[in-house]
Amino acid sequence: MTSLPQREPGAKKLGLVIDLDTCVGCHACAVNCKEWNTGGHYAPLPDHNPYQDQPDGVWFNRIHSYETEERTVNFPRSCLHCETPQCVTVCPTGASYKRAEDGIVLVNTDLCIGCKLCSWACPYGAREFDEDNGVMKKCTLCIDRIYNESLPEAEREPACVATCPSRARHFGDLADPESKVSKLVAERGGADLMPELGYGPVNKYLPPRKRKIAAPPLQSACGEAKPGMNRLLALVDKVLSR
Amino acid sequence: MAEDHIDYSAPIGDTATTTTCYMCACRCGIKVHLKDGVIRYIEGNRDHPVNRGVLCGKGSAGIMTQYSPAKLRKPLKRVGERGAGEFVEIEWEEAMQIAISLLAEIRRTDPKKLAFYTGRDQSQALTGYFAQMFGTMNFAAHGGFCSVNMAAAGLYSLGGAFWEFGEPDWEQAKLFLLFGVAEDHDSNPIKLGLAKLKERGAKIVSINPVRTGYSAIADEHVPITPGTDGLFVMALIHCLLEAGKIDADFLIRYTNAHYLVVEAPGAADHGLFARDAEGKPLAFDRKAEALADATAPGIAPALLGEYELPDGRRARPAFALLAERYLDPEYAPEAVAERCGLQPETIRRLAAEIAEIAFNQPVVLDQPWIDTAGRRHETMIGRPVAMHGMRGISAHSNGFHTCRAIHVLQMLIGAVDTPGSWRYKSPYPKPILPGPPPAGRRHLPDGSLPGGLLGFPRGPEDLLVDEDGEALRLDRAFSWEAPLGIHGMMHMAIAEAYKADRYEIDTLFLYMANMAWNSAMNPGETNRMLTEKRENGEYRIRNVIYADAYYSETVAYADLVLPDTTYLERYDCISLLDRPIGSAHGPADAIRHPVIKPDRDVRPFQDVLIELAGQLKLPNFVDGGGRPLYKDYPDYIMRHERRPGVGPLAGWRGEDGEAAGKGAPNPDQISRYIENGGFWRMHLPREQLYFKHANKAYLEGAVSMGFIESSDQIVLSLYSEPMQKFRLAAEGHGGVVPPERLRARILSGFDPLPIWYQPLEQGQVDRQRFPLFAITQRPMAMYHSWGGQNEWLRQINSENRLYVHRGTAAALGVADEDWVWVESRNGRLKCQIRLMDGVNPNTVWTWNAIGKRSGAWALAPDAPESKRGFLLNHLISEYLPGERHSNSDPVTGQAAWFDLNVSISRAGAGEAETAPHFETLPLPPNFPKAPTSIQFGASPLRKPVPETAS
Amino acid sequence: MKPASSVLLLTTLTGAGYGLLVWLGILDLAGAVPHAPAFGIVAILIGLAFAGGGLIASMAHLGRPERAWRAFSQWRSSWLSREGVASTLSFPPALGFAALWFFEGATAPATRILAALSLVMALVTVGCTAMIYASLIPIRQWHNRHTLPDYLIFSLFSGAVLLTAIMGVWQGHVILPGSIAAASGLAAIAAKSAYWRFIDRQKPLATLASATSVRQFGAVRPLDQPHFSENYILREMGFTIARKHAEKLRRIALAAGFIAPTILALVATLGLAAWLSGPLAALLALAGLFIERWLFFAEATHVSAIYYGRPV
Ligand SMILES: Nc1nc2c(c(=O)[nH]1)N[C@H]1C(S)=C(S)[C@@H](COP(=O)(O)OP(=O)(O)OC[C@H]3O[C@@H](n4cnc5c(=O)[nH]c(N)nc54)[C@H](O)[C@@H]3O)O[C@H]1N2
Ligand SMILES: Nc1nc2c(c(=O)[nH]1)N[C@H]1C(S)=C(S)[C@@H](COP(=O)(O)OP(=O)(O)OC[C@H]3O[C@@H](n4cnc5c(=O)[nH]c(N)nc54)[C@H](O)[C@@H]3O)O[C@H]1N2
Ligand code: SF4
Ligand code: SF4
Ligand code: SF4
Ligand code: SF4
Ligand code: SF4
Ligand SMILES: [Mo]
Repeated sequence: MTSLPQREPGAKKLGLVIDLDTCVGCHACAVNCKEWNTGGHYAPLPDHNPYQDQPDGVWFNRIHSYETEERTVNFPRSCLHCETPQCVTVCPTGASYKRAEDGIVLVNTDLCIGCKLCSWACPYGAREFDEDNGVMKKCTLCIDRIYNESLPEAEREPACVATCPSRARHFGDLADPESKVSKLVAERGGADLMPELGYGPVNKYLPPRKRKIAAPPLQSACGEAKPGMNRLLALVDKVLSR
Repeated sequence: MAEDHIDYSAPIGDTATTTTCYMCACRCGIKVHLKDGVIRYIEGNRDHPVNRGVLCGKGSAGIMTQYSPAKLRKPLKRVGERGAGEFVEIEWEEAMQIAISLLAEIRRTDPKKLAFYTGRDQSQALTGYFAQMFGTMNFAAHGGFCSVNMAAAGLYSLGGAFWEFGEPDWEQAKLFLLFGVAEDHDSNPIKLGLAKLKERGAKIVSINPVRTGYSAIADEHVPITPGTDGLFVMALIHCLLEAGKIDADFLIRYTNAHYLVVEAPGAADHGLFARDAEGKPLAFDRKAEALADATAPGIAPALLGEYELPDGRRARPAFALLAERYLDPEYAPEAVAERCGLQPETIRRLAAEIAEIAFNQPVVLDQPWIDTAGRRHETMIGRPVAMHGMRGISAHSNGFHTCRAIHVLQMLIGAVDTPGSWRYKSPYPKPILPGPPPAGRRHLPDGSLPGGLLGFPRGPEDLLVDEDGEALRLDRAFSWEAPLGIHGMMHMAIAEAYKADRYEIDTLFLYMANMAWNSAMNPGETNRMLTEKRENGEYRIRNVIYADAYYSETVAYADLVLPDTTYLERYDCISLLDRPIGSAHGPADAIRHPVIKPDRDVRPFQDVLIELAGQLKLPNFVDGGGRPLYKDYPDYIMRHERRPGVGPLAGWRGEDGEAAGKGAPNPDQISRYIENGGFWRMHLPREQLYFKHANKAYLEGAVSMGFIESSDQIVLSLYSEPMQKFRLAAEGHGGVVPPERLRARILSGFDPLPIWYQPLEQGQVDRQRFPLFAITQRPMAMYHSWGGQNEWLRQINSENRLYVHRGTAAALGVADEDWVWVESRNGRLKCQIRLMDGVNPNTVWTWNAIGKRSGAWALAPDAPESKRGFLLNHLISEYLPGERHSNSDPVTGQAAWFDLNVSISRAGAGEAETAPHFETLPLPPNFPKAPTSIQFGASPLRKPVPETAS
Repeated sequence: MKPASSVLLLTTLTGAGYGLLVWLGILDLAGAVPHAPAFGIVAILIGLAFAGGGLIASMAHLGRPERAWRAFSQWRSSWLSREGVASTLSFPPALGFAALWFFEGATAPATRILAALSLVMALVTVGCTAMIYASLIPIRQWHNRHTLPDYLIFSLFSGAVLLTAIMGVWQGHVILPGSIAAASGLAAIAAKSAYWRFIDRQKPLATLASATSVRQFGAVRPLDQPHFSENYILREMGFTIARKHAEKLRRIALAAGFIAPTILALVATLGLAAWLSGPLAALLALAGLFIERWLFFAEATHVSAIYYGRPV
C-alpha cells in the first residue's frame, strides 16, 4: 500500500547509524552488500560490461569521498528508510511500500512496473534500477538476514554492518531511546542528510571529530651551548640501577 | 493488494566451510557458503583471530575471482616469440618433463643457474627449502621490493618489526603515530584497531603526504614531504632529549644504551662495544665506580660521561653518543621543518604530546611478572604511545635508517612491548640477530646448501661476496651493495639475469609474481630484457618457467606456464616458519583447504614443486632409496620436520595431537585444523603479554615451543654494533672489505646510530627539472594487479588518476581531469589528473597497479584499465642514474619505489588514452568468451559466469 | 533529468489531444461549433487519438509494460496512478460526446452533458500529468507553482491550435478558434517566459554540507566517486545541459513553438489560407512544445546528483 502506513507510536524504526569519524572508505560494506544481495531477496544484482569498457552494475551501497578544509571524509550512501519518503507515495502500483512493523522501505518486485518514478522521488539517489528485469531494487536493510532464524542470533544483522572492518556501521531500532544506536546518535550528535527536504531519514550519520591532547610545551633549555645536556645530566644523575 | 513474498529465514546455502582468505596477504578467516555447488556467499569467520568476523571489499569479492574468465586452464607451451602470448595447451606430463629436464641439467652442472623467485605466495617455508635443497642461492620472495627496510631495521634493533612481526596495543594506546601506511598487510586488523582507538578516544596522528584512508580519519594529519621522516623523527628525539623526557630506567634495563663504545678512531674495534675477557659488553657502574658486565643485574650503569678502559683507551656509553648527536642544533625542529614541509611548532607540539602521554599518563596494569634477572615486578607500567610504519618509510633509499630512528624513539620513551605501546606478535621477539647468516658460499656433498638462503649477516664475514668483494648472488643481496639484503632483491632479478655480467642464468623460475608488469621497475625495459636474443638466436634469459593462476601480463613472457589452482581449490599453509598470523596475545597459524573442485586442468603449485623435488631427488624430499618422501603438499605439511619436532604447522602436533609448537608429526593434523575453523592459536597467560624481550615466563615458554633457542634476555639495540662492523671494513679493517667504488657509501651509510640522508635519486637528478615527488598508494578495494580481473572490484577501480594539489595545479596551469605528460629521468607517461587539497603540495600520487596491459586478465582490449589506467612504474628505473647501483636502499637493497621525482605538463590535444600503451595480448587457447552481462545469483538457477569456449 | 522521448511524446501529444477535447467541449456548450455531425466525430477522434497515442508511447518507458494495469491501483496517493485512472475515464464521455453529436446533434442537451463531462475529464487528466512533475520534491524546476498552470495553459494552447487546423481544413474560416489559439498562445509565451525567469533565479535545494551532514570542517568538495562508470542514477538524473545550448533551445522553442503558431493563428483568423496556416501552426506548435518539454527535463536538476558533484 503506497499510502504511508499508520505507525503505532513507538513502533520499531530499524535503520543504520554510520560513523563518518571512523569510515576509512574501504568499500567493504558495498562489496559485501552486493555479494549478499545478489543471491538474496532481490537476486540478482546484475552487472553490465563486467569485463569490458564502462563496467556498471546494481549496488545498494556506494562509497563517496569528500574533502573539507581539515579532513577528508568517506561517505557511504544507501537507502535511509525515511519516515515520510515520497518514493513510496508516488508509486502507482503499490510495489513501493514502507512496512508498518519496522519502518523498512521495500519494493515488491512482483508488482513493480519499472516506471522509475520512485527513483525520481528519492533525493538520496538510493534506488537502483535492474534493467535486465525491468524492476526497481534497493537496500532491504538485509530483511533476509535480520530476521533470519537459520542464522545464529549474533549474525542477524545487515551484511554491511557485520563486515565493516572499522566498525563504522551500526544497526538497530532508532525508535527505542535505550538502543545502542539511539544512544550513539544522542552522544555523538547523529545527523540527518538533507533534513530540509522533510523526508525524515531514519539512518543517521555521526560527524567526524578531531581529538586534541592538552600538553604543556616542553621547556627547551635556552641560552647554553649544549642545552638539554644539562637536563639530561640532571635526569640520569639519580643513580638508576639495572 | 498482493502480499510481498519475503523468505525471512532462507538458509544461506547448503554447506558452509571455514578456510583462509587469499584475496590479499592478510590471511583472514572466511566462511564459504555453497549453494548447488556454486559459491553463494563468503563472510568473515567470527572466531578467527585475524579478522574476528569482518571481511574487506576484496575478500567479499572472492566469488568473482573464483569465477573469473582469466583463470588459466591447462599447462601452456610457448609457440610464438616470447612476449607475443602465443601458446599451445599441453598435458601435465609433458609440462613436468620439460621442467624436470631443464632443472636436472642445471643441478648437475651449476645449480646457481636456476633463479627461483616467488612473490605473493605464502609458502616460502616450502619454496625457500626447495631452493636450498636444489642448491641455488638465487632465491628470494617479494620481501626485497616490499618492506625489507622495516623487517631489517626492526629485527636488527628490536628483534621484531613493524613488518608482520609487531602491532600496536590497540586496547591501551592513548596516542598512535602512523608513519606512511595506506593499507598494509594487516588490512583488517589495522582497521579493527583504529576503530578501537577511536572508541576509546585515543588520538591518531598520521604522518603521510596524502590525506586519504587511514589518514582521512586521523585526528591529526602531518603532510610530510616524502623521504624526510627521518629528519622529522630525529627532531622529535631532539626535543625529548632537550627536555629530558626519556625513560632512563627502560634504557638501562632493556637496551644497550649503557654499553660502553670504544672511542679509538682508526682502531679495528673503534665504535664497537668494549668487552671483557669473556666477551661480555662493559658498562660503567656508578655504585662500584668501576667497569662492570653491562648485562649484569643490579649495576647502576652510567648513561653519560667518558670512561677509561683497562687498556687505557677511552669509551663512552652508547647513549652519550646518541644524546650528543641528536641534541645538535642541526636536528632542532627549526632546522628541519622546512625540508620536511612542516611547521617547527607542529614538531615541538607533537614532541610535547608524546612526552605528556608517555610520562604523565602511563598505563599501569596490576599484573605481576618476573624478568629475566629473576626479579618480580608487581605491575606492568606502560608508555601508551604506539607507533607503526610501513612502506612510506621503507620504500625510500633512506628507509632502513628512518625506520631505525622510529625504533630509537620508541626505546627512548620506553615504548616497546609495554602496555599501550607497540608490541611483538608471537613468535616474536627473536634474538638480535634472529638466525644464522645466509647460506650460499659452500655446498654440502648432496648438492644442497647448508642453511637458510635469506639469513642474517652479523658482519662483513657473513656476506656472499667473492675475493674482489663482488656479489655472488644474482640479485646482489648480501653483497656490499646491500649487505643486509635479508629478503633478497627480487626487483633486480630480471635486470641482472639480463646483464649476466658475472654469470649467466639458465632458467628463471617465477611463481605468483607479476614481474613483467607491476612488480617491475620500468616494465617496458623489463619486457625488452625478457625478449632480447643473443647473436646465436637464443634468448638472453634462456628459459622462463612461470606458475600463475590467472592470465597476468607475465604469462606472455614464459616459455612454460604451470597453471595453479585458486585459493579456494587447494591446500595452503600459513606457517610460523614463514610470515605467521600470530598476535601479541599469542602465536597462531592456519591452513587453506579445498572448498570447490577445479573445473580446469590445473594443479596446486606446491604439489607440482614437491613432485619436481622428488623427481630431481633433492635431499629431504626423497628417502634413502631415492623414492619421493611426500605424496603432495598436505602430506608435506603434516610430515615434514625442519628441526626435530618442528614442522610447517605448530598446532595439534604429536601422535595424540595434544602437543603445541614442538611435537612429532600428526597424521590428522590437517583435519584437526579443519575442525577448528582452519586455524590454530594459543593464548599467552596474562603475565606473558608484555615485556616479552625480558619476560622470563614468556621466553622460557617460547623456547619450549621451539620459537627460539635460548631464553636469555633480548637486549634491544639502541646502538647497532653490526652496522659499525661494516663501516670498519670500509675503513680497511678485517679480511672482507668493500670494493673501492663502494667504500664511501658504506662509510657514510653504516652508522650504528640512525642517520638521515636525502633519498639517493633526489641527489642525482636535476630537481629544477623534476621538482615533484611521485608516489603510489594501495587502493583498499584492489589487490595489486590480480584484483583487476574481479568484475566487482574493477567497477570501483577500473581506472586511475594522478592526484595533484589544487594549488600546485593552478601554478602549473593544469585543471581537473586534464591529460598531462608526467616525466622522470627514466621516461614519460600520459595520464589524467585529479585535483585535491589533502596532499603535500610537492607531491603527486596515484593508486598502485591499476593500469593493465591491453588483453591481459581476459579483459576486453579497450578496457579502461589499459585506456585510462596507468602504472607509475614506467617512470621508475632499477638503476640509479648513470650508475651500476640498483635503485635501492644501500643497507638492505629495499627497492626505492618512492624516491621518484617527476615533472608534469599539459598534454596537447591527442588521443584521450594513457601512454605508454603496449600492443594487445591475445587470449590463450580455449579461453572462455567473457560475458557482457552477468546476473550472478539469479534464482532459482544460481549460475556462475558462463564458461563457453570461444 | 534525462529527457526520455517516450515521456516527451506522452506529455506533448496528450496535452494537445486533451486541449482539443476541452475546447470542443467549451465551444459545444457555447454552441459555437460547426453543426455538421461528421465534424464532431472527426475532431473528437483526433483528440482521443492524440491522447491515446501519447499514453501508448508512455508505456515504452516502463520496465514491465505487461503489468501496466497495476498502475490504476494507487490513485489514493500517486499522481501517476491518478493520471492513469483519469485518462481511462476520459475516454467514455469523449466517445459518448462524439456519438451523441453525430446522432442527436451538437446542441442536444444530452450531448452537452457529455461535452461537459468530457471537457472536465480532459482537464483533470492534464492536471494529473502536471502534478506528477509538480509533486516531485527533489526536482526544484518541477516542484513549484508554475508546473500545474503551465501544463494546463500549454495543453489549451496546443489544443486550440489543433482545433484551428482542423476547422481551417474543414471549413476555411476560423475566426473563433484562431483567436482563441492566438490568445492562449500569448498566455503560453507569458507563462513559459515567467517559468524560465523563475528557475534561473532558484537556489539549489541543498548544499554538499547538508547532503553529507558534514558541517564542522568548512566547505565540502567532492574527491572520489564510488565508481568510474556512469550508473543508473547518473544516466537518469545526472543529465546536464550546457547553459549556452539551453539558451539556444529556449529561443527556438519560443519562436517556433509559441510565437510562430500564434502569428499563424492570427493569419488564419484573417481567413488567409486557413487550410494551410492552421495545420502549419499546429505542426510548429507540437514541434515547439516537444522542444519545450525536452528542455523541461534537460534543465531540471535532481538533488541526488549533488553527491556526484553535479549541478543541482
Ligand atoms: N588493499 C590492498 N592491501 C594491500 C595491498 C594491496 O595491493 N591492496 N598490498 C599488500 C602489500 S604487498 C604491501 S607491501 C602492503 C603495503 O601497505 P602500505 O605500507 O600501506 O603501502 P602503500 O599503500 O604503498 O602505502 C604507502 C603509504 O606511505 C605514504 N608515503 C609515501 N612516501 C612517504 C614518506 O616519505 N613518508 C611518509 N610518512 N609516508 C609516505 C603513501 O602516501 C601511502 O599512504 O599492503 C598490503 N595490503
Ligand atoms: N609503483 C609501485 N610498484 C610497486 C609497489 C608500489 O608501491 N608502487 N609495490 C611493490 C610491492 S610492495 C609488491 S609486494 C609488489 C607486488 O607485485 P606482485 O608481486 O607482482 O603482486 P601481484 O600484482 O599481486 O601479482 C601476483 C601474481 O600472482 C598471481 N596469482 C594470484 N593468485 C595466485 C595463486 O593462487 N597462485 C598463483 N600461482 N598465482 C597467483 C597473480 O595472477 C599475479 O600475476 O608490487 C611492487 N610494485
Ligand atoms: S566498510 Fe565501513 S569503513 Fe569501509 S567503507 Fe563501509 S562503512 Fe566505511
Ligand atoms: S532514501 Fe530514498 S529510497 Fe530510501 S526511503 Fe528515503 S526516499 Fe525512499
Ligand atoms: S518503479 Fe516500481 S516501485 Fe518504483 S514507482 Fe514505479 S512501480 Fe513503483
Ligand atoms: S543493509 Fe543490507 S542491503 Fe542495505 S546497504 Fe547494508 S548490506 Fe546492503
Ligand atoms: S584483508 Fe581482505 S582480502 Fe585480505 S585476507 Fe583479509 S579479507 Fe581477504
Ligand atoms: Mo609488498
